[in-house]
Amino acid sequence: MNPVRRAALAVGLVLAVLVVVLATREAGQDRMTSHLVGAVAPPVAGGTLDGAHWDLDDQRGRWVLVNFFSTTCVPCIEEHPELLAFAGVHDGSDPAVPEVRVVSVAFDDRPSAISRFFIEHGGGWAVLPADTGRIAVDWGVVAVPESYLVTPSGHVAAKVVGGVVREDLEGLLDRALAAVAGDRAGS
Amino acid sequence: MSGSSPRQGPGRGRAVWLLVLAVVVGSLVASEVADRAPRTNADRVHALAGDFACPVCQGQSLGESDVPIARTIRSTIRTMVDEGRTDSEVRTMLVDRFGEKIDYTPTGRGLTGLVWVLPVLVGAAAVTGLALAVTRWRSVPADSGTGCRGAGTPRATSNRTLVLVGVAVVAVVAGVLVAHTAGDRTAGDALTGDIRSSTRTLLAEAGVAAPAAAETLYTRVLEIQPSNVEALAYRGWSRWRTGDRAAALVDLNEAIFLDDAYADVRVFRASARHADGDHTGAAVDLTVLDGLDAPPIVGDLLDASRLRQRIAGALASGGELLAALELLDSGLDSGSGAGPAAGRVASLLAERGWLLASTRVPELVERGLANLDEAVAVRPTDPHALAYRAVVGSGVASRADDVVADLEAFATLESPPPDLVAALVSMGLFDG
Repeated sequence: MNPVRRAALAVGLVLAVLVVVLATREAGQDRMTSHLVGAVAPPVAGGTLDGAHWDLDDQRGRWVLVNFFSTTCVPCIEEHPELLAFAGVHDGSDPAVPEVRVVSVAFDDRPSAISRFFIEHGGGWAVLPADTGRIAVDWGVVAVPESYLVTPSGHVAAKVVGGVVREDLEGLLDRALAAVAGDRAGS
Repeated sequence: MSGSSPRQGPGRGRAVWLLVLAVVVGSLVASEVADRAPRTNADRVHALAGDFACPVCQGQSLGESDVPIARTIRSTIRTMVDEGRTDSEVRTMLVDRFGEKIDYTPTGRGLTGLVWVLPVLVGAAAVTGLALAVTRWRSVPADSGTGCRGAGTPRATSNRTLVLVGVAVVAVVAGVLVAHTAGDRTAGDALTGDIRSSTRTLLAEAGVAAPAAAETLYTRVLEIQPSNVEALAYRGWSRWRTGDRAAALVDLNEAIFLDDAYADVRVFRASARHADGDHTGAAVDLTVLDGLDAPPIVGDLLDASRLRQRIAGALASGGELLAALELLDSGLDSGSGAGPAAGRVASLLAERGWLLASTRVPELVERGLANLDEAVAVRPTDPHALAYRAVVGSGVASRADDVVADLEAFATLESPPPDLVAALVSMGLFDG
């Protein structure tokens, strides 16, 4: 066979194999729902609406739900009752139910609007209203609402893009609890 | 060079080419190292913002978009640049947080690496093909005129075929490896692993590692930050758990020396001192702890281990009942480890009642029973409160009904402490 044709054939074969491999390989995980899952939670620290200082690192030993929100986002308003219900059930009053601390991190919002939002809609958990841009970037937040479930060891167990639903959060928490229990049993 | 005159021989021709090469290289070097006005931070921020796409926009860079996330990221870039971070650090942070898809400059990693690999492969194939074609053209007259062995003979063709097959195999293997590596990579991961590590990450990883592995991680933290109190305290605790008591106490004492307000280390040293028989020293550590703003995990640790109750029991056994009661009262008065306080209060009250009743002094027994009643009222399912009250009440005639009720309640507990069950069985109060 003509050497030039052989060379062309070889290049064609390489490209064909590449196409086959790329077409049949397993798709990577969806970054939207997997980013940070399993990794150490980035820092969350700052002043709260009531003037206190809140730091995720101080919550070691507790489950934490980090919720990024804005008072001007409709899904955030719609998810708020679900957050209220979840926080109410997991407020630590029932020893049989795992306690989960909720913290809301405002994204590109005004403290006065946030304060009014929580007065009108309720929610007694920590709210970080200002200087939260770096926190949002550290967590890779693209659009609110986004929520992250953080384990007592400080690792991200699950990520929710969009408004949360209480039943879904319970499912995520159950799976995370089982995973943590499995890790403990295995170690 | 059949057209060259004797004055324009091969040496002069090479000199001309060398001169051209020198001019080209010199120009490139000069353009690269020529004095330029230093870039300001604003220039760098502007350039970096132009190199990345807005994560939620179509076809707009961070610099062009005005959506909130783009503004937030620009602000973060500005902060990082002002902090003295390099462009590379900023790029790494952005790709790590938002993925390579926002990077307008494709990296050599993962699937995007094909952008760099494919042109090289195609170029190499083209050059190879061209070389083969030229060789073939040159070999045709020679073969036809002389018939001697050379390029184009079966042997030469066979060699070229082998080379081509080798190149193809290498290219295929490389392609498969690149593709598979890209597929296995999860979002945010680097192709060759992530070498970024911070003390915060190391501490978090150590928190879920086995004691021996944790000790290694804490040591790495201390290599970076020799005065990291958290690493010192937890390495000391890891060493204690692995049996290296002397080294553990050195770490724990050093941690307290560096920061006597760090709560966790007080629990660790109290536990170590208690195990070594220094119950008074252990009680001091817990009393200091009660005055600190301890995180919830410290309270959980104390609750789970019943360390305070065990130290109080040891003090009382050694004749230091007052010190034992002070230790329990300190725990009742403190807010350390905020959380579900009912269980903690009931457990401490139960221990208080038990220690008082154990004196067998009628007045103290009465006070002890009052504490036990309070404990059961606070938490009706507290196993120690129920068991202690049943034992103490069994010696008081008027308490017979309460004893039966307490034992029935105790029997309904899902997983009562085995030592309590054994104690009740040995007293004939419980049949297991």
